[in-house]
Amino acid sequence: MNDRELERKLADAVTRAAPDDLEAILSRCGAQNGSVMEMNQLISNESTKIARAKSRRAARPWLAAACAALVLLGTGGGGLLYHQSHAVASVVSLDVNPSIELKVNRNEKVISCTALNTEAAAVLFDMGGGADLAGTKLDVAVNAIVGALVREGYLDSISSAILISVEDNNQERAQRLQAELVASVDGVLQAQAPGTSVLSQVLTVDAGTKPVVYGEGLSLGKAALVEKVLAMNGAGEKAFDQLAALSVEELNDLLKAGEKRIPIGKSAAATAAETYAGTLALDSVTTDVDPELDEFPPHYEVKLKTARGEFEYIVDAFTGQVLSGPKDPLASGADTNPPSPGTDTPVSPDASAPQTPSSGAQGEDVGQEAAKQAALSHAGLSASDVTDWKVKREWDDGRLEYEIEFWCGTDEYDYTIDGHSCSVLKHELERHPHQDGTHHGGSVSGITLEAAKAAALSHAGLQESQVWDMKAEMDYDDGRLEYEVEFKSGGMEYEYTIDGVTGNILSFERETDD
Amino acid sequence: MLAALWVQTTEEEDARRELERLLLLTGQGNREAFGLLYAKTRGAVYALALSLLGDAHEAQDIAQDAYVRVWESAPSYRPQGSPMAWLLTVTRNLARSRLRQNGRQTTLDEEAWNAIPAAPPGVSPEDRQVLQEALARLEPEERQIILLHAISGLKHREIAQLLERPLSTVLSKYHRGLKKMKALMKGESDQ
Repeated sequence: MNDRELERKLADAVTRAAPDDLEAILSRCGAQNGSVMEMNQLISNESTKIARAKSRRAARPWLAAACAALVLLGTGGGGLLYHQSHAVASVVSLDVNPSIELKVNRNEKVISCTALNTEAAAVLFDMGGGADLAGTKLDVAVNAIVGALVREGYLDSISSAILISVEDNNQERAQRLQAELVASVDGVLQAQAPGTSVLSQVLTVDAGTKPVVYGEGLSLGKAALVEKVLAMNGAGEKAFDQLAALSVEELNDLLKAGEKRIPIGKSAAATAAETYAGTLALDSVTTDVDPELDEFPPHYEVKLKTARGEFEYIVDAFTGQVLSGPKDPLASGADTNPPSPGTDTPVSPDASAPQTPSSGAQGEDVGQEAAKQAALSHAGLSASDVTDWKVKREWDDGRLEYEIEFWCGTDEYDYTIDGHSCSVLKHELERHPHQDGTHHGGSVSGITLEAAKAAALSHAGLQESQVWDMKAEMDYDDGRLEYEVEFKSGGMEYEYTIDGVTGNILSFERETDD
Repeated sequence: MLAALWVQTTEEEDARRELERLLLLTGQGNREAFGLLYAKTRGAVYALALSLLGDAHEAQDIAQDAYVRVWESAPSYRPQGSPMAWLLTVTRNLARSRLRQNGRQTTLDEEAWNAIPAAPPGVSPEDRQVLQEALARLEPEERQIILLHAISGLKHREIAQLLERPLSTVLSKYHRGLKKMKALMKGESDQ
């Protein structure tokens, strides 16, 4: 059993031994002391913000409200409580493509949860169409909805995006809610859909009394995002409906890329791919569409899931033209091997499209071994020098590629090799001098055991011949390489901890040898 | 092995960030976040209280008091890198004040460690017994340091700060204690 295992077992055992008194503790938790909170500290660094909280002042009005509610609970002030629990304080909308709106009272309890489009209705189906969430705490309801969005596959691609908007006439409360929700949703997504971007914004509208401006099926939050895209592309109000039909991920991609054209949308991209594949009439074929509007050229990746396997199509985001993917893969005698753009030329490829992946001249798959060899030659290494191979064969922008990773000692190599020509498309070398090279077959970097002893002796002002009972061993503390050096001299016992990389003395102790 | 250590370090960072987030939410009156914070930290708080007070009932009391104090003080909490250290400092102060009130400092006896449950996950019955016996045979300070390092994920320098001991002492006691435990466990398993 090594140190780490021993500590793990200890931690498990003692944690289980600790009594669980949460209920008793909660029953003793009353009002909190005054607070001055930095809202931005709650917002995950990875989250992209459309709008950020501007005010950093104290959240005292909210606290006062919370305290008032507590007092009323104690004194039975029923009338006011009833009013508070039924008055809409904030409106929170969640937009992916499904758009869901939650009306919340000032105690952060959900008053109503409404599906704003048919996709949202499907997501809320298991929650009584949203009715089951009434009366629950806002963060609990939002977590339930986000969980359902993940289950329904709305947040499963690497570039998915969810927009959280909080409308409230009380800016401070809105910012606090925004921060809480972003943190909470980010927490759920990090575990369940780590590629998802969390966008958030605060809207300053008198909640609950806003006029209906954008019609049915569109949350005010998404409308604000559409307005941002309109402001960027200058397309004018006439393009509003077209943009409103896009998902948050697509709108976000457009903003990121500064793309002024309006894409065809996921559903049109799926139809284009299915028409090309000849599967439009088949109910058994399902599609999975991933917009890549911030890539070049902007496109949709459409996966057709059929009884004969999955086929991937690249569809131009603006013309709807199929740039790569097998034609009629389900026709009898068709090649059902992984889609090969080199052999299946799509109809009339756009001559202006950069790097058309369907030139037909890319040839056969070179195979994994050849790709590995190409990476090794580029790195100037031989197979015996390297360890920990990881090879992934994949299609990117209609091109067959091999993603190759290997280690040489403490150096990590990453290659992307063209699957047709064996050329090196991308390479990266990352050195990890502070890592234990032995894991990767190389030597340990840093100072030697002898150097650590010498550092300790030099610090003590002693020669090796003047000391006895010298013990030295290598150790790791919190991931850091260290040497523990002990020796005795002149009736004293010395103990040193030496940094294994720099040779610096981290600690030393000298005590009487007894 | 280093890859594992690297992963572990990343996990520790993630755990710190998560505690920080929960503590900030607690400061805003979020009881769910407080419940999660409790679930993630109660082992460390209890272990520290037990190691300082040497009495399971007293430790349970102090752990409860500590969380009530955390709830009350969370709004004024400022992120300072180690929410766990803050939590344990609150616990330490309460435990010391209890000791002052009682006018005594007890030494934990072997019996107190028999609280380790019969079937904790990932611990075989043999390991459990050996763990208990090994812990019971450590010096109180060694046990305290080892438990804090194992359960709270605090770094040695943070433990030194918490216990107000020099880092070198914490390091040597930690290494000595661990070596002792391993030797004891090896001896037991050889039998």
